[in-house]
Amino acid sequence: MLEFIIQNNIVCHAVEAMLFASVACAILGVIITQVQISSIGFTMAHAAFAGAAVGMFLSINVTICAILAGVCVAFLIGPLSDKARVSPDTALGLLFGISMAVAIFFIAYMQTLGQGFSAMGLLFGDVISLYREEIYLLALICVVAVVLVVVLYKEITGIIFNKRIAESVGIRVKPVYYAMLFVIALTVALCLPIIGGLLIYVWLVTPAAIALQFCYRLSAMFMVAPIVAAAISVSGALAGLEYSLPVAPLTAVLFSVVFIAAVFLSPKRRVSFRKY
Amino acid sequence: MTPSDPIIRLENVYTAYEGADRPTLTDISFSVGRGEFVVVGGPNGAGKTTLLETINGMLPITHGTATVCGHDVRGDGVQVRCRVGYLLQNFAFDPLTPFTVEEVVLMGRFGMIGLIRKPRKEDHEAVEKALHLLGIGDLAKRPIGKLSGGQQQKVLLAQNLARDPQVLLLDEPFSNLDMFARESINKLLSRLVASGIAVVIVSHAFDDLPDCRVRVVVMHDGRISLDRECLPADVGQVIRHAGSAPCYA
Repeated sequence: MLEFIIQNNIVCHAVEAMLFASVACAILGVIITQVQISSIGFTMAHAAFAGAAVGMFLSINVTICAILAGVCVAFLIGPLSDKARVSPDTALGLLFGISMAVAIFFIAYMQTLGQGFSAMGLLFGDVISLYREEIYLLALICVVAVVLVVVLYKEITGIIFNKRIAESVGIRVKPVYYAMLFVIALTVALCLPIIGGLLIYVWLVTPAAIALQFCYRLSAMFMVAPIVAAAISVSGALAGLEYSLPVAPLTAVLFSVVFIAAVFLSPKRRVSFRKY
Repeated sequence: MTPSDPIIRLENVYTAYEGADRPTLTDISFSVGRGEFVVVGGPNGAGKTTLLETINGMLPITHGTATVCGHDVRGDGVQVRCRVGYLLQNFAFDPLTPFTVEEVVLMGRFGMIGLIRKPRKEDHEAVEKALHLLGIGDLAKRPIGKLSGGQQQKVLLAQNLARDPQVLLLDEPFSNLDMFARESINKLLSRLVASGIAVVIVSHAFDDLPDCRVRVVVMHDGRISLDRECLPADVGQVIRHAGSAPCYA
């Protein structure tokens, strides 16, 4: 898609993948951070990671396994906390622990079988060996994330403001909430091979946290977060490939540096007499 | 539904929270007509907030029938909530909350507008009207998190008024308000009651009540223990008298 700007095929694929993944993650990250379901996002990311590890071990489609595991966790949290009479937070802790145990078990086992290299890709991501179909899928999930927010913007803002108030004004909270979780699970699963199970959370949370330092309105956050994420991710991909550095960890570090700078530069922490 | 029919009608209603081993509301039969002003009193944990949330369908009714604004609460809760304003208890927003006052008030109409549809001109006009009614039009562009507790309370009340409710359920509406704000809200409530809106209010501030005929409902242990009319000035005394049993003290 970007061949007319970047001639090198490998670099072009890497930049495209990082661009689409970062935009999708940043848009959904605004929802995750503002609805305060970061722990759900975190657990879903690790469940998708576990699903991918199982898929890789069983030689089944890694992406489908990751999607199934992520979606299962999203829909298990509520029933698990009800049936086991534990708080949702404890249920998330349990699911996170199980996910990590499964993922680490299969990755370690694959290493003993000599398949360690491909398994490591799941941990730290790999932007080099991407197929064109994978990039199309990332572009598609990027469009799905944008469409979700545009079509359900009203309902999503209501839920972000306060779930109980949203329910009390007649918003159908449950279906919208589960639609959000489903798209998050889908995005996490598709982004996992390029960003990696250990780092994907940076893409989900940091761009929204950066945008929050400067934006007073949610609509502005939905614009700023993906722009910031795209700029950092593309820079990270180009710099990583140019200087032969691992792309996803380098980009994650860049995200963190920009976040720290944003906290210091944020006008929200300055005392001023600005009239709104 | 004729104008003389009760706008809220609960018959032998039981409500239980998920996982609870006994109902929170027990055998509640209660009806409210248009333009009635009802004060719900009782000790902490008596079921006052539960009663409000049962009326607007946010809590599951395990037994009995409830009809609000002509809609069955059990089967059509969303439709009920589109017609009923409900001010929740004790809300305070973080200074970083990324919503302006007018955005928050517009949310009050989201259920009525319906899924996927965008707000129209009349929705924005209703927001303007509600802000004007509460006297907070000048705060429209301010972030809600930067307002005082009392101003935030007024914004949430405006959010409920923005959808032209037939019933207004208010849970401790005076909790963050100063004396002047209480007076202006009371005047507003009197006007709303006179225009035919049914108001059900849970409050411990009995000194400042709107100047209209008041019906007092006292709850105890999930049941209604008293239901009678009185003058606004007598509400505190009636509730204290009804609660003179040791468990209420």
